[in-house]
This record gives sequence, C-alpha cells and structure tokens, in this order.
Amino acid sequence: MIMITGGAYQGKKDFVKAHYNCEILNGDNCDFESVFTAKCVSNYHQLVKRLIENGDDVASYTERLCRDNSNLIVIINEIGCGIVPLEKSDRLWREQVGLAGSLIAKNSDTVVRLICGIPAVIKGEL
Amino acid sequence: MMTVVIGGSKCGKSGYAEKILDSFDGKKLYIATMIPYGEEAQKAIKRHRKMRRNKGFETVEKYTDLDEICLPENYAVLLECMGNLLANEMFKNEEITDPTEKIIKGIESLKTQAQHLVIVTNNVACDGIDYERETMDYIRIMGDINRRMSELADNVIECVYGIPLAVKGMLL
Repeated sequence: MIMITGGAYQGKKDFVKAHYNCEILNGDNCDFESVFTAKCVSNYHQLVKRLIENGDDVASYTERLCRDNSNLIVIINEIGCGIVPLEKSDRLWREQVGLAGSLIAKNSDTVVRLICGIPAVIKGEL
Repeated sequence: MMTVVIGGSKCGKSGYAEKILDSFDGKKLYIATMIPYGEEAQKAIKRHRKMRRNKGFETVEKYTDLDEICLPENYAVLLECMGNLLANEMFKNEEITDPTEKIIKGIESLKTQAQHLVIVTNNVACDGIDYERETMDYIRIMGDINRRMSELADNVIECVYGIPLAVKGMLL
C-alpha cells in the first residue's frame, strides 16, 4: 500500500499521475465497493465522511481495504491541525480521518507527504 | 532532557509520547490537563487511561498552575496536553489573559526537576479558518507557547498519521 498525504491543493494527484500513471477513483463520489478493486483512490477523507453518513464503521472498512487491496494508492488530506470544530459531526469526522489515516500509514510501505508540490518521503522509499 | 510531541487530531502523538518513556527505568508521572467535563471528554480520558494501562504511570490531574508541581527525585514526566492547559489558563476568568509567561515558567520548573520531560501539544494553526477574536487569540498564544517550548526542548517530534518526524533533535 502507498499513502499520499498533505494539505489541500498541494499536488498530491499530480504526483500520483507523474509517478504511477494510473487511474484515480474519486473517494468523494465513488461506490464504496469499487475502492476494493481500484489502483488509486483520492479524497479518502471525504470517503470517510460518506461512510459515517452511511452508518458504516470506518475502522473496519479501512482494515478490510488494507487487507483486500494491499497495493492500493490512497490519497488523503491532512485535516487534523486546526481548532476543535464546534459541530459534533465535524469533530467525529476529524477524529475518524485521523484514526483511518494512521491505520493506512501503518499498513503502507511508503508514505509521501506533499507541500507546494514538493514530495517528502516520510516512510519507506519511493 | 525535554521532548515536545506535536500534531493534529488523532495523529498518534500520545502513543508516541508514551513510547518515548518505555525504556525509562525510574518513576513516571502523567500530568493530565483535561477537565473531565461532558461526555466526549470522559470518553477521551477513558481511551487514554486504557492506552496507558500497565505502562507504569502514576497520574495526577493538574488543569492550571504547572509551576506549583513539586517533583520527587528521579521522575520522568509526561504532560498531556498543552492545548487543554492553555485553554484552562486562558478562559478560567471572565477577562482573558495571556498566560504564556506563567506556563513557560511552569515548564522550566518541570524541566529542571524531571529526568525527562515529555510534553504533548497541538498544532491548531493550519485549518485556515478565520474565527472570532478569542479563538484567534488562542491560536496565536498556542503558537507562541509551542515556539518557546521548542526552544527549551532537546527534541521536537511531529506526528503525521502515526508517523513520527524529527523537527528538532532526533527520534527517540
């Protein structure tokens, strides 16, 4: 598994296209099961939001994904470095993204973090 | 020795901070700063207690006034977390005051007394949202304290989705 992270609009998708040249499934609107056969999924933080809204267990979905599609490239924004949100649903989402992202990072051979389009390998190697 | 562990929400900073003190063979004190108010705070406290179980920590709750802590010899300290301590100090009276100097004094005192002082703190400055004045003050003072602590620290470690990165000093 490969994880690509960083803030919004830092060049994560462009990095994936340049390095892996594969199709990217949009986690913001894709079918949940299609992720299990995808090469790459983007917006995993939004996928987490949709899973919560759908009443699914984010941790067990993510664990199943790490197990059953272990070559997946996951693009996920860093969203946790702010003020604790006022809305309970936003707080829950933020925490679930943190936990799911940590699970993906743990199961990834390589983790890349981008800022200003510049990649830093923070786990494993490219 | 002093180590600062910083990160966002649920990024594995507590787990890493606890791990740093795994190999410490003296006594270990956990300073909890979160006021157990409301269901979510209770849940968070429960989760953290479970994480610390069997790791040999004594726990003391200290919501404000770090400088009052008097430590016996040969102790390591894990303080969690600066975000809560700052909020407790800032918003305890009706009038908001800047507690930076008081908090730094408390940290300096702990650093002198402890064999190893580990502080968990929060990066709250990167959501780009314009909040009302009080929250912006909180973000600014949090940043000031994080910078001051990092000057005092030997190591500053940032956690990103569970991955520790050395910003200053080295990984432990």
